[in-house]
Amino acid sequence: MTNSSDFPPFLASDHLSRRTHDILKERLEEDSSGTPRTLSSTAFSVLDRIVTVLLPQEEILGQQTLNLALRVDRALSGPRDGWRFAELPSDSQAWEQALLTLNDLSTSQFERPFSLLEDSAVAAFLDAMGEGKVGLDTPNRLNPSQMQKWALDLRADVIECFLADPRVQDRLGMSANLNGGDERFQGFETVQANERKDFEPATKISSAA
Amino acid sequence: MKTYAETDTLDVIIVGSGAGGAPLAARLAQAGKSVLVLEAGPKFTPAQYTSDEIEAREIYWLNERLSGGRNPQPFGGNNSGTGVGGSMLHYGAFLPRPDARDFQLHTETGRSVDWPFRYEELLPYIEEVESFIGVSGPAQYPWDPSRQYAYSPPPANPAALKMRDACDALGLRHADGPTALITRPFNQPYFGERQGCVSCGACHQGCRNGAKSGTDNTWLPLAVTYGAEIRPGCFVHTIETDQAGRVTGVVYKQNGQDIRQRCEKLVLSAGAVETARLLLHNGLANSSGQVGENYMTHISTQIWGEIDQEVRPNRGYPSLTITEDMMRPKDADFAGGYLIQSLGMMPITWASNIARGSTRRGADLVRTLAGYNRSIGMGIHGDCMPSPENRVVLSDEKDHFGIPKPLITHSYGPNELAMHAHASRLLTRMWDAIGAKDLRILDRAAHMMGTARMGKDSGSAVVTPYGQSFDIDNLWISDHSTFPSATAANPALTIMALALRTADAMLTH
Ligand SMILES: Cc1cc2nc3c(=O)[nH]c(=O)nc-3n(C[C@H](O)[C@H](O)[C@H](O)COP(=O)(O)OP(=O)(O)OC[C@H]3O[C@@H](n4cnc5c(N)ncnc54)[C@H](O)[C@@H]3O)c2cc1C
Ligand code: SF4
Repeated sequence: MTNSSDFPPFLASDHLSRRTHDILKERLEEDSSGTPRTLSSTAFSVLDRIVTVLLPQEEILGQQTLNLALRVDRALSGPRDGWRFAELPSDSQAWEQALLTLNDLSTSQFERPFSLLEDSAVAAFLDAMGEGKVGLDTPNRLNPSQMQKWALDLRADVIECFLADPRVQDRLGMSANLNGGDERFQGFETVQANERKDFEPATKISSAA
Repeated sequence: MKTYAETDTLDVIIVGSGAGGAPLAARLAQAGKSVLVLEAGPKFTPAQYTSDEIEAREIYWLNERLSGGRNPQPFGGNNSGTGVGGSMLHYGAFLPRPDARDFQLHTETGRSVDWPFRYEELLPYIEEVESFIGVSGPAQYPWDPSRQYAYSPPPANPAALKMRDACDALGLRHADGPTALITRPFNQPYFGERQGCVSCGACHQGCRNGAKSGTDNTWLPLAVTYGAEIRPGCFVHTIETDQAGRVTGVVYKQNGQDIRQRCEKLVLSAGAVETARLLLHNGLANSSGQVGENYMTHISTQIWGEIDQEVRPNRGYPSLTITEDMMRPKDADFAGGYLIQSLGMMPITWASNIARGSTRRGADLVRTLAGYNRSIGMGIHGDCMPSPENRVVLSDEKDHFGIPKPLITHSYGPNELAMHAHASRLLTRMWDAIGAKDLRILDRAAHMMGTARMGKDSGSAVVTPYGQSFDIDNLWISDHSTFPSATAANPALTIMALALRTADAMLTH
């Protein structure tokens, strides 16, 4: 659900093309309460837990965080980006198997599902995955080397889904989409440092200022 | 546009409308040949390109590729495009000339291979390409004072300015790089009005005002004016031959239908992965065993850092400053060399490089993303040698056309690793020199070359030095798959020049 308070003002700018405006607006209005389309509920619960530790959104979005896991799930059943690691099965399978691998490991090591792990344990899994130390050599699960590759896809997809949201762009003061309207394709008249034009959003969070 | 009937036999069919296919189509059409370009991708409307990096994927080649080896290369946005205009719809328009020494690297160092002709032979074609498509550059190019560019450079963004400072600090020469864009309006013959660059920064998402010099606003309109037909949405999967083994035509899929079109000559310009895939799938032109072999990239190490200024790296032409001083560094422990260019970048592309190139998470990752507006980068393009380790083969998995997906194996050898290490040290010193903070080196490769190399010997090359198949005399290749070695320069200019040279050879054969 969106209300006018989280409608980034830059969406009304004439420096934004109509098509880009419509794309961003649709994304803004994406349902954040639906059910996953691609992943099983167990796999989804693991993803939901991981994203909160990989990319805590509060500093940027306050309490109005995105349902990032759901966005990633939706993206997985949409058009993909044209390649995958040869070591991994198809994207949707790889994600399902990777997430279930984590859940299995959590159950065997901590005797509880991944979704109930503490932040520190999730973080430790993320780091160990990056080092190629997490995985299972059993059918329908990913081995450590596969998990290491998948961890890169995980990171990239989560971050892409996050930055694609116009609220995030607004909070971070990003003007990339304001590169020209339809009436007049303005581009950027100034490209100098420290010269923000009025139509460009200012950065709204302290660590970005 | 003139159109041909399915029953027509064309003088020439060209598969692919990018850097390799389009100039050749224009040249042959101008010479009176009947030419049909079959392009798998759609015809886009430039005004409708979007800066939204997710939707802008429509101009990528999205037919899945499997990427393996020790340095698996990301494809998609990183490496190839589709549509009437090929990868040049979303290329970065950085257009340096190849270095003459890179064509003779084996003679110079005993390593890599020589090209089967010298740079000087390609130079007239390079000049012809530059003057026809429109290239901007400095009044004085430090590494080649004889050169002239028709357009003045676009404005320098902060990354470009900071790279100048860093070069000054280390005693390196620098200049505004040659860029394939125009900086004042121009009425392009056979196309129409092109606007000057407005520094929108979204070259990789498609240029909306025609400022970027692609094939869609230069060679293809020329080809069409002289009677060529460009047929979009046509994926070629079968190459048909007669009993003597000569090509008789192709079969392509359009809107789910298989359509046969006959031709006297066939030119493959589908790019290093797809040209190899087509030949391997059809079992053709491979008596040398070299089809798909020697897949190469450019070593494209990047550095990113933050400065205490709001630079907004999405603004301005992204990669203006160049130095060619590392083409043969004195302290090199590798053969060949590399170019350095400054980098601005659109946010999602920038962030996914960080995602894949670092292990940051949590608050650290959030802080890094929040630093976008203060970020400046530089990147290299380094020569890469042919290696028997690196190749394109058919995988066991089929795509939605029922054709095996390509499996690409890519691993750096000792020379590439040494060059990456050298560049990492130098880039770090440069960004240190200007006080950039939180430096991050990204280990990455870009572009694709090789897989159907040209050479003088039919035992070790797929095509002749002019691009003609050794095995099938009416089959030609005009794209980056014919490169014997990568050379350091970004490839589009070399590909276009080679395309004109191949066209001339086809006309005299
Ligand atoms: C993001 C990006 C940035 C780049 N930046 C630069 C740069 O700054 N400077 C530079 O010099 N180079 C750059 N390049 C590289 C340059 O664009 C390519 O090297 C060049 O376009 C390759 O030319 P080509 O003719 O070999 O292939 P392409 O231009 O890729 O054209 C191949 C065409 O063939 C079509 N095709 C493929 N298979 C089939 C089939 N079976 N049937 C029908 N059609 C088919 C494809 O759809 C495509 O349109 C960049 C590339 C990318 C992707
Ligand atoms: S920066 Fe210039 S050349 Fe690049 S897309 Fe924008 S207007 Fe076109």
